[in-house]
Amino acid sequence: MLNKIIVALGALLASQMIFAAPLSYQLNPTEIAPNTWVLQGKLEDFSSKNGGNIVNTGFVVTEEGVLVIDTGPSLKYGQEMRAAIRRITDKPIKYVFNTHHHPDHFLGNQAFKDIEILSLPKTKQQLRQHGDAFAGNMYRLVGDWMRSTDVLLPTKTIDKDSLVLGSHRFKLMPFAGHTGSDLVVLDEKTGVLFASDIVFYQRALTTPHTPGIAVWLGEIQKLKNIKYNYLVPGHGPITQDKKPLYQMEAYLNWLDDILTSSAKAGLSMTEVINIPISEAFSDIELSRHEFIRTVAHLYPQYEERFF
Amino acid sequence: MKATVAAWVLCAAIPASVQAATPDPLNSPLWDYMRKQFIGDDEFVFDERVKVELPEFAEDPTQVPITINAEALSGNIQRIVTWADLNPIQHIFTYYPHPQIVPRVSLRIKVQQGTAIRAAVLTKDNVWHVGGNYLDAAGGGCTAPSAANADPYWESHLGEMKSRFFPRSEGGRYKFKVIHPMDTGLVDAIPEFYIQQVAVRSESGQALARMELSQPVSENPVITFDVRDSTRKHRIWLRDNGGNEFEQDL
Repeated sequence: MLNKIIVALGALLASQMIFAAPLSYQLNPTEIAPNTWVLQGKLEDFSSKNGGNIVNTGFVVTEEGVLVIDTGPSLKYGQEMRAAIRRITDKPIKYVFNTHHHPDHFLGNQAFKDIEILSLPKTKQQLRQHGDAFAGNMYRLVGDWMRSTDVLLPTKTIDKDSLVLGSHRFKLMPFAGHTGSDLVVLDEKTGVLFASDIVFYQRALTTPHTPGIAVWLGEIQKLKNIKYNYLVPGHGPITQDKKPLYQMEAYLNWLDDILTSSAKAGLSMTEVINIPISEAFSDIELSRHEFIRTVAHLYPQYEERFF
Repeated sequence: MKATVAAWVLCAAIPASVQAATPDPLNSPLWDYMRKQFIGDDEFVFDERVKVELPEFAEDPTQVPITINAEALSGNIQRIVTWADLNPIQHIFTYYPHPQIVPRVSLRIKVQQGTAIRAAVLTKDNVWHVGGNYLDAAGGGCTAPSAANADPYWESHLGEMKSRFFPRSEGGRYKFKVIHPMDTGLVDAIPEFYIQQVAVRSESGQALARMELSQPVSENPVITFDVRDSTRKHRIWLRDNGGNEFEQDL
């Protein structure tokens, strides 16, 4: 009898252990250009299933060490990213960049706390102001993946327009269209452009902190004039062409047109939310969801013009 | 007419206790309690013709757009009461319509958490027609300080109104915005301060439709409604709980 109970208990425990298998992002870096690796996230919204891994992060291995671009949505992601880097190179990590202050791009910072973490000055200020609220919201959205994650601010702000590491010269470009402070990095040696969230591709862009569609459109124009071999968007697949820039331009223009014509006609916010998304964007993930958010973020400013 | 009588007989035949057992289509834990508060033991039916339009989630819990649409019952309405089941202050507004004005109004509200939003329309036969919709929200909208609390702009612009008339294929639409903090009183050391009454008046000052607002209406309210006759002129009149009155041409 007792034996039976022990066996039953053992079986129960074993099944519990299967269910309680440790969460893992299974990060798998892809070498998109020589010594240039990208970890591509899912084209989804934050969920307890994806642990917040909806973002592209990357790193470049140079002769003198590694440069990391963004640290992901959680301490766990940062740790797994660091382990993935270690599997590829034993060169030391020299610099970590936070491209902007959104939670999926910096909450892995704690895994790099012994390394210099850099951001634009305004990004650091925004992290100080909103970081804790973002972290709290991430716990709500993705749950246990966030365990022990805390805000770790950048240790240094960027005051130059380039950085040299080994034989790589990185051009550091301050943009603003997505959050008011967005870092775009061009590796001049390989021609890889890390566009951060200035570019979303095949995944609808997000607007909670944009200074405005016009600013963003202007910066897409600027990116069109940059010569690159590879474009790494903040979210979505990596390309060698300019398709992501044309998609961004078309979608931003469509948004601007819809919001302007709606405000001009006196539509209420609930009416605008129900406007169908143009078929031109039917292959963009989450366009409906993000459109609803964008209306909440931007429509009041458009309404203001027609009072 | 026959159908109305039949419905009336049917309603009269159902005791209140049976009515209370009608399951809430939104399955909200507070439905029974809220019903008692707002419509008491009056007769009611869940009625899909009473529409509560909203996004399925609140991107900003301090500014959630809603439209209450009772056009299907137009001409037969005594008043419309709206509330959010799980808000700390549930009542949003009560609306008294007027034949010249379409019984549909859009504004923005604060929510404290995901909640059912209700509109109960009392028709002239003394039956409540209840519509609703569920809103998902991270919450905190009612206990977040108003933006006005951090910026003194409102002090010198209190009650300032902007409005615009938009001609429509039939009649016309008014949208107006008024500067007011709409403080709920639920934030530490910030007393409640909000607009309680809104009236649309004719050019001669006669009251047409009116609304009684509660604290969940968002800061700097933006209210949209339609009139049937676009040739008439209208005025708007507001009073807050501090006794301040504001009035201007729409």
